[in-house]
This record gives sequence, C-alpha cells and structure tokens, in this order.
Amino acid sequence: MTAFSSFLFNYLNGVTANVYEPVSVATRAAEVWAHEPWLAIGWLALGMAVMLGFLVVIGMGLIYGERKIAGHFQCRLGPMRVGWHGLLQVIADTLKLLVKEDVVPAKADKVLHVLAPVLAIMATLLALAIVPATPWFQLIDVNIGVIYVTAVGSIGVLGVLIGGWSSNNKWSLLGAMRAGAQIISYEVSATLALLIIVLFAGSLQLSTIVESQADGWWIWRSHLAGIVAFFTFLIASTAELNRTPFDLPEGESELTAGFHTEYSGMRFAFFFLAEFINMFVASAIAATLFLGGWMPFQIAGLDGFNAVMQAIPPGVWFAVKTGGLIFLLMWFRWTFPRLRIDQLMGLEWKFLLPVGFVNLLFAAVLILMGWYFAPIPA
Amino acid sequence: MGLVNLRKIRRAKQEIGGREVAVVISPRPEQTRLGTTVWQTFKSLLTGMKITISYLFRPSTVVTQQYPENRETLQMFDRYRAQLKLVYDEAGGRLCNCCQICENACPNQSIKIEWTKNPDTKKKELERWIWRMDSCTFCNACVQACPSNSITFGNEFESAVYDRRLLVYTLNDKAGPDAKVWSAIEDPAEREKLMRKMDRYSGPIPLSGTSLPGNPSGKEG
Ligand code: SF4
Ligand code: SF4
Repeated sequence: MTAFSSFLFNYLNGVTANVYEPVSVATRAAEVWAHEPWLAIGWLALGMAVMLGFLVVIGMGLIYGERKIAGHFQCRLGPMRVGWHGLLQVIADTLKLLVKEDVVPAKADKVLHVLAPVLAIMATLLALAIVPATPWFQLIDVNIGVIYVTAVGSIGVLGVLIGGWSSNNKWSLLGAMRAGAQIISYEVSATLALLIIVLFAGSLQLSTIVESQADGWWIWRSHLAGIVAFFTFLIASTAELNRTPFDLPEGESELTAGFHTEYSGMRFAFFFLAEFINMFVASAIAATLFLGGWMPFQIAGLDGFNAVMQAIPPGVWFAVKTGGLIFLLMWFRWTFPRLRIDQLMGLEWKFLLPVGFVNLLFAAVLILMGWYFAPIPA
Repeated sequence: MGLVNLRKIRRAKQEIGGREVAVVISPRPEQTRLGTTVWQTFKSLLTGMKITISYLFRPSTVVTQQYPENRETLQMFDRYRAQLKLVYDEAGGRLCNCCQICENACPNQSIKIEWTKNPDTKKKELERWIWRMDSCTFCNACVQACPSNSITFGNEFESAVYDRRLLVYTLNDKAGPDAKVWSAIEDPAEREKLMRKMDRYSGPIPLSGTSLPGNPSGKEG
C-alpha cells in the first residue's frame, strides 16, 4: 500500500506543478503493469473513482441546472423548497428513486427489460471515458478516438430499442422505433461533421486533435467549413440525445413517456442519468473537436493576451466550453417546439445530409489547396 | 416548404352570429424558395431564443408565487376563478332576481335557486342561492349566462375542507327581495325588516348529503 500512497502523492504533486505529459490513465496503467502492479491498480482505481464521481456530480449538477434554467426560461423559479434554492432537491429525488418499487410489467421480456438500462448507461460511461478533460487527465486515449465515440454512442440506441421492445407496451415500442429511426438518421450527419475536423487535424485521436488547435480552434481556422460543421453537429447531436426539438421518442403528449414508460425506480434513474451524461459527452466532444478542448483562446501576435489566457488552467477552459454548449442545448430545449416525425426525417435527409456532404467536399478542397489560416500539424 | 408570413397577420372585425367579434386573420403558408425558407427558419428560431433568454436574465418576469410564505402579499389575478359570489349594488341590494337562467345554463346542475313569491308585491324573493362547489367545474357558464351580471367569480381560493359536504354553500347570507325593492327603500332599519338571516351550510339535505355531525346548521335526516 505504500506504493499506492506514494503514487498518489507524486501524482498530485505532478498535477499541481502541471508537469505531466498528456498521457491517458489507461496508458499509464499499462506502462507500469509489468514491474509495479500496485501502481497500475492504483491508476485504474483512480480512473474508476473519478469516473464514478464524474457520473454522479455531473448528473446531479446537470439535472439541478436544467430544472433551474428551465424554470427561469419559462418565468418560473424551479425547485425552491429542499435546501437553499432547492439545492438538495436532486439528492431527495435520487433517494426517492433508490427506494422506489422496481416494477417489471407481467408480460415483459424480463432479461431484456433488465438489460436495456444497463446498456444505455454503459454506452454513456464508455463515451465519457474518452473525453479529454485536461492534458494530464484522460482515462483512455485510443488512436481511433472519433470512431470510438460514434461507435459507443450507437450502443446507447440499442438500450433504447431493447427497452422499448421488452416492455411489451405500444407506447414504449413506438418511442423506441422513433428513437431508432432518428438516431440512425442523424448519426450520419454527426459523423460527417466530425470527419471534417478529422480531415483538418489529420488524426482520429482526440488528444492529437486538441493539440492541433494550439494556434486557433478549428471552428475559426477552417473558414466557413468549421462553422457549418459545428452547427450540423450541434443539430445532429441534439437529435441523437433525444432532446427537444427532437424529443419524439419520449413525446410525453403523445406517447406517455416513450421507451421508458414501463421503467421505474433505479432502472428509470439509469435511463435518466444516461440521458443527462450523454448531453455532457456530446457537448464535450463538440468542445474538443471544434472549440479546442482544454486549449486556451489564443490570438497570434498578441503575446500579452495569450499569456493571460494561458494562465487559466486547462480544466477551467474545458469546463467553460462544455458548460457553454450544454447551456446552448438547454436553451434550445426550452425555446423550440417539437418537430413532427416527417419534418424530422425531412430535416435530416433533405437538408442536413446534403449540406454535410457539400461541406465535406469544400473542406477537402480547402485542405488540398492549403487555403486555411494555420498549417496542419505534420 | 411553406412559411406563414408573420407580417401579413392582421386584426379585423368580423360578424359572427350577429355580433361584431375581434378576430386575427392569418394567411395561408406561402411557397418560398429554399434560401428564403432557411433564412426565415433560422431568423425565427433566433427570435424565439432571444425572447426566452430575456426571461432568463430578468428575474422580475418570474410569476411564481411562494405561497404560503407570502400569504400576506399574495398577488391574485382578476380572471382567476376561485369562489362564486353574488354581486351587490352600492346600497347593498342583491342584484340576483331569481330568474334561474344560471341554473339552466350550468352543465353539472351545480346551482339551485330556491325562491318564494311574496303575496303582497307579487315579486320573487330569494330563499337560497345554493352552489355545489364539489361538482362545479368552474366553466364560468353561469356567470356568462346571467342577464343581470349578478354573479361573479372571486379570488378566495383557500376553500379546502375535510368533508365534501362542506362544499355545498348557500351563497346569500340574507333571504329576501332583490335590489330593485331593497334599494328603493331609504330607511336602513326598514330594509333590514324585509330580510331573514341565512346560514352558509343550512341547505336542504339532498344537496348537502346526509347530516354532518358537529355542524349545527345541517338538518338531521
Ligand atoms: S361555473 Fe359552470 S359548473 Fe360551476 S356553477 Fe357555474 S355553470 Fe355550473
Ligand atoms: S344569478 Fe343571474 S341568472 Fe342566476 S338567478 Fe340570479 S339573476 Fe338569474
């Protein structure tokens, strides 16, 4: 255990002095596994603890934030009773969900019914693990990061589909089918938008993509292509998150609660938590790819300004960018009316997809001709 | 795609059922070119976002009332429908003349007007104006039907009780002639002689259910 405590001491020292090289937690654990297994286990334990903490803290923070912000968007106050300005409301709700009876419908497919929320939260956790929050802390950093994100994101829809199917309820099934159709459609546009950044950065690895933005974020540097790709990704990921104006799978006015109609207690909490963490992951990925992740805001030539910006720790930069995007998603949700299913499909296949393809072609031409603001990293 | 041109929405007056009614005329969606549609779409989305964010940053727009903490300063709304009440003129005469139109207008039979004919004046005199709040849906039909505007909805919303039978009210606190007779008499003492006191809960048993233990005004039955 002394190895573990000394590891923790050294690590925290390294963090405060900001001397750690950008190496992911998984890589570190793999490096030391052969000669110091305790250290490797320490790294993994730290990773898991951080993950759990992230999940709970972000989940609760987002739920409280959403309820408060939604309230004020609608001229209400939001939660006010439990704790100061309702701060403890989320904890009370969590306790309630924990002790609630877990109802499984009599004619449900029991195994799948249990499996669905687990799949949903698993996909979320897997996606959360790859988010590069700061240079010295990223849980896993695979070299095909962008593909990994889109791939594990699709496991989530499996959870939704299975949940709807196994509930043996027409509303659940309708909601699940809508979710399936919607996520499969919008995944295309989201991936096309991500591809543009992959083209510019010349890498699929998230940490490399962040480092390639040291001189400027891709949203500015790629002329119009980055901005268009950013908005395409924003719209497509809102649809993938099943959030208003694309919340047809839940459509409470027509489908009760859509795919999670028959879920209660902890399993409902899993779906709910997965939804909110997914919002965080989507915003974090958008911030990483388009807004430079933890990279500070830099203007070439203004050295004083750049120094001030660099003094702000990377974790803060990441939190501010991600938080801003989350706020934008909430703003969308409490402003826009829900689309009809044919409008939803029309928007994707007749508008976003052509725009995405043209944009990709435009970006490719830009790169071939070298017409963008800063050089591609070798 | 079709868009409704918001600029072409106009107010107008139309004759509906022999009455001038203020209406809003909205045009049919117009066929627009793709560029216009996209531009208009984003413009209208941004307009919506501007409005909601202005609410977010102006706490003064919040309409939520922190009841019961602010019970003293509670702001109610004129159009809120809490309790039906009878309307009285300045002299204190009751406007209702027992025509029973509201009773017929009520879809739930929540109103019952009991009256007697005064043998001297040959005028109807109100006995009880019974309102069954337990079956009322607050549809306002009675208020609209009344030809002399003698009933209205008030703001006194704290009407919770422990027994449903306590929701059957006699609205008039005095039985007797209406405002036409009452207000014509100058002397207050003379007026009072015409009226009899009425209890809020002493209505007939079929309306207020069986007798209530501990409620002296309810008849045994
Ligand atoms: S509000 Fe409607 S339901 Fe209630 S008493 Fe009047 S007419 Fe009847
Ligand atoms: S309240 Fe109006 S409608 Fe009803 S009986 Fe009295 S005058 Fe007639």
